[in-house]
Amino acid sequence: MRIFLIRFSIFLSGVVLNYSCSQYRHMQRVQSDESCIQKFKPEFDRVVYRTSADVVGKHISGLLFIKFMPDSSTRILFSSETGLSYFDFGFLPDDEFKVFQVTPAMNKKSLIRTLRKDFELILFRNMDSSKYYSLSDTHFVYHAFPQSSGVNYYVTDSNCLQLVKMQRASDKKPVMEAFIYGSLPGNSPDSIVIRHLNFNFTIFLKKVAPLAAQ
Amino acid sequence: MIKIICLYCLTCGFLFCQAQYPGYTLMNNPDNFKQSFAQATSSTRTIQSDFSQEKSLTMLSEKINSTGKFWYQKEDRLRMQYFQPYDYLMILNAGKIYVKDGQKESKISAGSSNVFKQVNRILIDCVSGGMLKNPDFHSQLWENQGSVLVELKPLAKNLKELYKNINIVLDKKDYSATAIEMDEVSGNKTIIRFKNKEINAHIPDTVFNIP
Repeated sequence: MRIFLIRFSIFLSGVVLNYSCSQYRHMQRVQSDESCIQKFKPEFDRVVYRTSADVVGKHISGLLFIKFMPDSSTRILFSSETGLSYFDFGFLPDDEFKVFQVTPAMNKKSLIRTLRKDFELILFRNMDSSKYYSLSDTHFVYHAFPQSSGVNYYVTDSNCLQLVKMQRASDKKPVMEAFIYGSLPGNSPDSIVIRHLNFNFTIFLKKVAPLAAQ
Repeated sequence: MIKIICLYCLTCGFLFCQAQYPGYTLMNNPDNFKQSFAQATSSTRTIQSDFSQEKSLTMLSEKINSTGKFWYQKEDRLRMQYFQPYDYLMILNAGKIYVKDGQKESKISAGSSNVFKQVNRILIDCVSGGMLKNPDFHSQLWENQGSVLVELKPLAKNLKELYKNINIVLDKKDYSATAIEMDEVSGNKTIIRFKNKEINAHIPDTVFNIP
């Protein structure tokens, strides 16, 4: 009985701690329309971004190519300025993901998983309507799409006129924030910033002049 | 029957070799060429040139084109500056690498065993003529009337994981590189073409200064 009480009190304190630490706990559930978010969805038909990333003190730059393919998948390829391909990821229909190519130096499970989740948020993927809900604080509405682990939030103003930011969050707090700038409906954004909050990892994307037709 | 099969295989092999690089045939006397090439490159002190780069994303049926300027000074100084469609500067000087992408500057020291450094070293070897002596590659020479194609197959494990082969096209007139083609294992390839070349023109040392 004593052991049970100790275990139960540890469990209870964990629950209380978890609840009290959550940055979303003060928000109210509100009624909202999922279509509010869909109008902000960027279109990455065929675009190249000048890309620089800082990862725990290391800097890497290159070109990130995003293309919507005829089979409805989206391919993301990152290469150095001098031409060497670093990775080629495919975001397939039905929320599948495929690594087409990755250099040995970048072939790290945790890195690929992080990049996958980051780009899924920006590409507006894994948005299961049946799980959708929204929260609100005094200024913003948090459109929440629960993932297999954590939640993706698309944060808008209360009138749904502006996409303020995107967030990937654990159960308790945001772990990554992304901002898109210069995005018109049906267009790719001019620039994108991805900022991780739990470790030093930032990615800047700036659109390069339009590609020549093939 | 065995003779017929052997003859068939030899014929197919010969045809395959001839077709590998259209317009090129395997060089008969590579040693003679290597000697003349070594002589010519030993007198090359500097090269400056414009370049265009074409990155072909084979699986995506796309190309990304860029242009810039290129400076080389014997033995191991190289500056590549991209102007279009993005600004990018890379300086290699005495084993050190300096990179400026946009506003961000970074340096890679001489001691680091970075693949990035190794890949960029290939560029110096390609223009300086050092590639035929590089133990990281097996070379094979092909030729046509005006040019020689040096096919480099990586032997080093880390390069093998990146490149199928790297081909350099040399002008028979002055033995300078007119194009470098890097074929990646992924199927993507990058071709750098040099134009408006000036050989042994004066290049100030400051061009290769690492800030």
